[in-house]
This record gives sequence, C-alpha cells and structure tokens, in this order.
Amino acid sequence: MTAATKTIEQRKIKARRVRLAAVPYLLLLPAMLAMAAVSLYPMIDGARASLHKYRYGIDAGYTGVENFRNIYNDAVFWQAVETTIRFILIAVSIETVLGLLLALLVARELRFLGLIRVTLILPMTIAPVVVGVIWRLLYASNIGIIDPLFRLLGLGTPDVLAHPTSAFVGLVAVDVWEWTPLIFLIILAGLESMPQDPLEAARVDGASALQVFFHHKLPLLRPVLLVAVVLRTIDAAGTFDQIFVLTKGGPGTATQLIAIYSYNTAFLFNQYGHAMAMMISLLAFLLLLMVAAVHLMRRSSELLE
Amino acid sequence: MSDKNVKTPKLLKQPLGRRDVIKRGLAGTVALAGAATVLSPRRSYASGAITIGSFQDNAMAPFRDYFVKEFTKETGIAVNYNETNYDTWYQNAKNDGINKTGAYDIYVMDDNWVPEFAAGGIVQSLDKLGLKVNSDILPKGLEMGLWPPKSGARMKDFASAKPELYSLVIIDDVEILYYHKDHFPHAPQTWDDIYAVAKKTEPPKMYGWSARGVKGNPIMMTYLPLLNSYGGNFVNEDWSPGFAGPEGVGALTRLFSFIPYMPSGVASFDTAEETQVMLEGKCTALTEYTGLVNRVDDPSSSKVVHKINMTATPKQEKHGPAIGTFICGIASGSKNPEGAVQFLEWFTSSKTQMQFARRFGGAAVTGSALSDPEAVKKYRWLPAIAEAVNSSVQKPRTPDEPKMEDILGTALNEALVEAIAQKENYDAIAKKHLQAAAEQISSYLKQQGGYF
Repeated sequence: MTAATKTIEQRKIKARRVRLAAVPYLLLLPAMLAMAAVSLYPMIDGARASLHKYRYGIDAGYTGVENFRNIYNDAVFWQAVETTIRFILIAVSIETVLGLLLALLVARELRFLGLIRVTLILPMTIAPVVVGVIWRLLYASNIGIIDPLFRLLGLGTPDVLAHPTSAFVGLVAVDVWEWTPLIFLIILAGLESMPQDPLEAARVDGASALQVFFHHKLPLLRPVLLVAVVLRTIDAAGTFDQIFVLTKGGPGTATQLIAIYSYNTAFLFNQYGHAMAMMISLLAFLLLLMVAAVHLMRRSSELLE
Repeated sequence: MSDKNVKTPKLLKQPLGRRDVIKRGLAGTVALAGAATVLSPRRSYASGAITIGSFQDNAMAPFRDYFVKEFTKETGIAVNYNETNYDTWYQNAKNDGINKTGAYDIYVMDDNWVPEFAAGGIVQSLDKLGLKVNSDILPKGLEMGLWPPKSGARMKDFASAKPELYSLVIIDDVEILYYHKDHFPHAPQTWDDIYAVAKKTEPPKMYGWSARGVKGNPIMMTYLPLLNSYGGNFVNEDWSPGFAGPEGVGALTRLFSFIPYMPSGVASFDTAEETQVMLEGKCTALTEYTGLVNRVDDPSSSKVVHKINMTATPKQEKHGPAIGTFICGIASGSKNPEGAVQFLEWFTSSKTQMQFARRFGGAAVTGSALSDPEAVKKYRWLPAIAEAVNSSVQKPRTPDEPKMEDILGTALNEALVEAIAQKENYDAIAKKHLQAAAEQISSYLKQQGGYF
C-alpha cells in the first residue's frame, strides 16, 4: 500500500468516524427543534416582551428596564410574592412530612398494599381544574358539605372561601390533598431502593426503630427528599388552576399567587411587558433555587460517600 | 391460495440503500403534503361565505343555532361559525386582528373589548364600511360600539376625535332586578323597598338579598347598580375616581346593610352561588344579567317557576344598571367585509329582532321587539330589559378598564369581608377601602399615561 493510498484510507476512516459521531446529534435534532419551538422560543420572546411597552394590545416599542422598575414599585406584586412564598413553605412542608409518613407506612408488607397505593395516588391523577371544581363545590357555603358538617358538630359556619385566612388554609389543603401523593411516590421509590445492610446492621447492634430512622434512613433519603422538595417547590410556585377556579386570588389578595397575578396582568389588563417582567423574575428566582438545590444534592451525596 | 402464487412486487425484491430510503421517504412526504393540501376543507370566498368567531355563552345559542342558518336561507351566503371559551376567543380574535390573517370576518365580542379593538385597529370602522344602522336600535346599546365614546371620560389621544361606530350591538345584556312575587306585591322601585322586605326575612330559611361578592368583576356587578343609583360614578369626566365621595360610600353602606339578610358566605359567591339561593326559593330579590331569565322558569333548575318577576334595578336618585352587551365587530383582515356588513344589518333589522324576541324571549336590541305585545305576553321580562337598557350606565371606555375594575373590585371584596366580620362601622369601612382604591386607580392611570 502506497503512502498516498494509506492517507486516503485514513481520511475515509476519519470521515466515517465524524459521521458516526454526528449521528446521535442528527437524531436528536428534530426533538431539539420541537423543544426550541415550544419552549425556548416563548422564553426568548417573553424576555424580549419584558423590555417592551404594550398599548391597546400592540407593541408600543422598547422601554428598557421600565417594566422591571414598575414591578419593583408594584405593591400588589410584592404581596403576591409574599403569598407565593408563604404558600410554598406551608404546603410543601406539610406535603413532605405527610408523604414521608405515608411512604414509611406503606413500605412494608401489608394486605391490600396495591389497593392502598393506588388509592393514595388517585388525587394526583385528577386534572387540577377538576380538583378546583370539586373543592369549590365542597367549600361553597350553601351547597357544599363542609359548612353543614361544621354546623352539625356545633362549630358554626366556617364559610371557607369567604375569609382571607380560611381561604388560604383551604387552598393549602387542596394542594396538600392533590400533591402529597407525588412526594409519597418519590420517597417510596427511595425507600424501596435503599440498601438494607446498614439498616440491618444497626438493628443487630440494638438500635431502636426511631434511631434507625433518624440516624440511617433519613440521611440515606436526603437526596431523594431534596429532589421531591425541589420538584414540588417549582410546581407550587406556578400554582394556577385551582386558585383560578376556587378564589380567583381572593378574598382581597389573600390567595393571589404570582401565577394568577401575572395571568391577570397579561390577559386581563393587557400589560404583556409588565407580566413578562414578573415571569422573568420568577424564572430567575426558580433557577437560583434549582442551582442551590443541585449544589445541596451534590454536597449531600459527597457526604454520604 | 398457496404462497407460491403470491408474486413479490419488484420494488420489494430490490435491496434498499440509505439514499433510496431517504429519496422515497421525501417523495412520500411531498405526496402526502400535496394530498392533504388538496383534500383539506378550505374556505371559499368566491361564494361569499363569512366566518364568525365567538365565545361560548348560553345567550348566543339562538344566534348560533337558528339565526345563522336563517341568514343563509334568506341570502344564500354561507356562514362558518367557530366558538371557543371566552379567554381563548379574546386572544384569538386579538391575534387575528393584529396580524390581519383574515381567518374571521366577524368577531362576537364583549363590549369592554371595544376600546382596545377599535383603538388598536383590530376591527374596522363600520361607518367607513357603509353599514346602515337601524334607527330602531336602543341608543344606549348602540353607543357601546362607538369609539371614542359619545359621552363620559375620554382618553387624551382621542379627546377631539369624532365617535365612529366600530361594533354593533347584537344582544342587549343588562342588569335587571329579579324579585319574588310572594314577597313583593308590586315591583320594588327603590333600595329602601328591597330593604324593607329584607328586614322581614329569617335567614337561613329565606334571605332578603343575594349578591356576587368575589373580588374583581363579580362584586363590581353587584356594586355598580348601587353606585350609579346613588349618583356616584366609576370615574368622572376628568378620569378622577367618582366612587370615594358620599355617593359611593352611601352605596356601599347600603350593600352592607343587607349583610344580616344575605347568605353568610356571600363574599365568595359568584353567579352560580348567588343565583342558586333564588332558584331554590330562598331569596326575595337580587340583581343579575338577563342570562337568568330562562332559568327561573325552567322546572329542571328552579323551584320558583313563574314566581319571579323582573324590573329595572332599584333607584335611589335614579336607576343605574350596568350594561354588558354582546357586540360584533368586523375584523381588520376580513376577506368578505361586504358579507359581514350584510349579516350585521340583517341580524339587527327590526324584523329579525322581532323574531328573536317572539321566538326566544332574547334580549333584543330594538325598541319595537322589546315592547311587542305578542312577545311580552310570552316573555314577561322584555319590558324590564328595555327599561334597564334605557337607564343603563356604561363603564369607563378605556383599554385600562379591566385593571381599574380589578383594583376597585378587590377593595370592595376586602371591605365586604371586613364588614361581615365586624358587623358594624360600615361607614368607616366603606370610606377606608374606597379611598384606598381611588388612590390606587389614580396612581395607576398616571403611570399608564394618556389620561390627565
């Protein structure tokens, strides 16, 4: 074989390697284009809209950071931020504790275990709008069952959705009812894939059930818990459907989360720029949260190792 | 049949290379796309068809199911009718108009879309299109389609512009008073009449009043007939809020005076809950739009069939119901504006409106239909609708009205919650919340610009 033939052969091999290396990317390309169209494009357009002013529903031109300045001075926005944070903290905490307890309860040999598991995850499978309608009917004072039940027990009439505090509590209750199953499922998966040797060793060494749980199971579950909490936090920050059906953000602004206020600002008040500035701020906040969570997860995995 | 007799097609015998697959795949795709284009249903304007887009609403049923077909029968112009939910339709119509796609010829709109759609060039001027307005149409309903408004506050950009008709009213939806005949031997005229009967009721067996209390638009629809009747204004001619003075406070205090006689959860009531108590026969009176008229006499949803009468909303200084018409505009990109004009002229003609009233008891837009003896004999609410339209007060005509409504509607809801909790100091509670809303609206309008 001459040197020239050898070079040509080598080039062919190189070209084939390049082609082979490119195949996965080419196969991914349609999916990536679709994702870019439905996800990336709206995000970029949203960022662009946040720097524009809209009048009569039409883009009235570039305004720089005016929309961001306006949301900084918008008392209702900050109220919505506060309500959103309060909602996330309370709802996700309750869901985590309940989800953990349920997972611990179910992660053992029980009769009718399959049925119990299916029943527990049922609320999660119902569309959020339907959940809102169901609970609105339950809460509605003249046709629901909550008020008559309270009256029967001699506890007066709570009129759940008519008072700021009870409406907020009612909303948290709906979220807990619907989304505890998600945390339950994630933790259950974590419990079932947990290595049993360290737990059995601890039991053999005389550790009580509580000690095994706090000193072994919980540290081992930490990454799973973190994933569950981060997922729920991101989801809870965007809660919309149930509130839209149940309270529309009221009474007053008691249940007005950022998602509802942004929706109203964009589609009811026709201020797309202002709304997009809010959504970009929320996105930045959630990104920070995710980065922090990933960092925590890494650290926790390192500690476990 | 044995397998031997089955011939393998030549195409399948040949080994397929990568290029062959790509080539044939491309050819197939092009062929499929071509076939889809040829076979897909397309609108043809050659035949003069028009396309109407609308939001779903029970009040639109006669329009959609009967009159659209009648129009085609009479004129030979085919009508494509597309409807979707309110929010989606609002966005679709707006996008269609801004981009002049020509997918629609007529938009069925809520009247508060008119300022934005007219000022933004989303709908065309009906005057410029040569639409002939039927002089029988009630003036207050007709005015809802003008931009800039004929009366009331005007935005600076349009201060000296001549009002033009951009949309034409097709259903005169307006608030009217529904009252239980067993409790009111005569039609109540004033809020004092309503209150006098309410005081005799014994909740929860019977309530003296029911209302929508949810923040935003629902509670605004409860408050506006009170505010207008007490002589207040949502906004004055100079865009200053007109509800924080004694008239507005008096109106809200009057609403609070019904608290002992209203269902306890009224602050979370929307239309469904508000009207349910009346349909169950547990309420003496309420104000609501005309959509309720058919339900009160429907035995499947009402326990008070033929027991509820209707009249104009009560007055203090004057009657002042809120008006919320269904209104039609012609799309900026309409491909058949002539057909669209013809349809609107036909539907709002006295003859068609008479049919609307006689056959369906609908909130017709012409005076002759609402006072027609044959129609009134069958549908007792028609004169109440006419009276209410004639005394109605329109909301501020600006694209910023929904935000203003949200601010005041939130303050009203907060005030109602506080008043229900305290059961006293109604005057002070009303003043505090109305003042706060007035300041918020003024500051919002200043930030938006174009008002002062």
